[in-house]
Amino acid sequence: MAEFHGQLALSAEARDGRTVLAAQSFRAPFHLSKPYWDVESSTLLVQVVNPTAGILAGDRLESEITVGAGACLLVTTPAASRVFKMREGAAECRQRFTVARGGWLEVMPEPLVPHRGCRYRQIMSIEVEPGGELFFADLLMPGRVAHAEAWVWDALCLEVDVRLGGERVLRERLHHSGEELRALAAFMGSGAGACFGNAVLIAETSNDDPDWREAIHALHGDGLWVGVSRLRKGGWSLKFVAMDGVRLRRALQETRRVLAACFPRLACDPRKL
Amino acid sequence: MNSAPVTSTDTAWLTGLLQAGDSFYPTGAYAHSFGLEGLVQIGAVHDRATLREFVFLSALPALQHGELPLAAHAYQALGAPDWPRVGELCVLSSALKTAREARQASHNIGRQRAELAAALHAHPLAAGFLARAAEADWPFSAAISAALEGRVLGAPLPAVMAGIYYANIAGLLAAAMKILRLGQNGCQTLLTEALGRAPAVIAAAGEVAFDDIGWFNPWLDIAAARHETADGRLFIS
Repeated sequence: MAEFHGQLALSAEARDGRTVLAAQSFRAPFHLSKPYWDVESSTLLVQVVNPTAGILAGDRLESEITVGAGACLLVTTPAASRVFKMREGAAECRQRFTVARGGWLEVMPEPLVPHRGCRYRQIMSIEVEPGGELFFADLLMPGRVAHAEAWVWDALCLEVDVRLGGERVLRERLHHSGEELRALAAFMGSGAGACFGNAVLIAETSNDDPDWREAIHALHGDGLWVGVSRLRKGGWSLKFVAMDGVRLRRALQETRRVLAACFPRLACDPRKL
Repeated sequence: MNSAPVTSTDTAWLTGLLQAGDSFYPTGAYAHSFGLEGLVQIGAVHDRATLREFVFLSALPALQHGELPLAAHAYQALGAPDWPRVGELCVLSSALKTAREARQASHNIGRQRAELAAALHAHPLAAGFLARAAEADWPFSAAISAALEGRVLGAPLPAVMAGIYYANIAGLLAAAMKILRLGQNGCQTLLTEALGRAPAVIAAAGEVAFDDIGWFNPWLDIAAARHETADGRLFIS
């Protein structure tokens, strides 16, 4: 069993009114595209590429992304992360994101697609200084729906921990069996192809019921569930369940468009590269 | 079946737990549906059959991986007491609830339970908990305050967890009776079926490590988030 111990470290800093990668290092299976400076949103767009087919047994992936004061960074991926069947062993991915006061970080990876018989754990730790801002969206597909393969992973554990000024404001742990989620999806009427979007916005908002919340809630219906609620401190949780990937992507695009009126960095098109 | 004679100590904590678990006990829990009303408004739960599915597919796993392990870890931490750990658990309990109404429900019920434990039993542990919570601005948690009650009463952990299990399921079903066409017998048979799972769920919950605490139902979180801005509602959550 070939094993990858991939590492990615990025550090974004503000220099002369722009954001630059002040430090970067990566090791297979990570690769980094050439960064793109989006003038309109004043955001640096970086694409993290996994040139291998996907995540395999034994893979240990670690990434650390730091955004300094005044820097604005959007990190995305060009394609879905497929987690392949594992005859033995498991794969693990640890991600750590840090945002300094006055910094902005958006993390918008393409969806995770767990294949039949995979065992995968993803641990995402986010630390935002007061005055820093962040938007991340994690998308989960039930499997290779086009091949009629869904909810058949062996083990899947997705953890998110968000701290603001050192204090934990969000902890989520999705550790359901495929059968549990399949049953819930059937019960709730989302069907066999239900997919999930879990987004978090960390930003100061003075209004407890901002207009953008109503606009995002209005997306609900026609096979899409959407709910927005305030976190215990400093931000918002945005959850999506869609009957299929097309609805989910459309909902997320529309959500970013709505939010961009208040958070202009979200106007940066993640597909520009 | 244990045939050992019941001691007076057992009956002391047992009556205390019965008092704390009674709907007559003023925790304010009666004003919450714990997300159920939101699911009814969305149309996912609409009769006894769908309520039963909700209980078994969502409410019991949430207890097994969330509220019960929180209480178990808090019970251990309060034994020393290990106050930093208690504080960490209070924050964790709050951070695990992404829907504001669910978080606020737990906070309000937890605060009321902790204050009642201090007022009714004049126990230094309850007073110490309230003082530290005020000093460090800990969020309150229904599960952690139930563990505190258990320590104050001298109840063993399995009994405390059984009390939490009962209060959660009975509270949910009591709310269901107000928002669904559901009779007393229909609710009691469902409650009996759910209570039959209690030993297994409580045993499994007792094995959950601190870092493994947490479970969520995305549809329930969404329904709870939408309930915050619903045009009409009977329950606070």
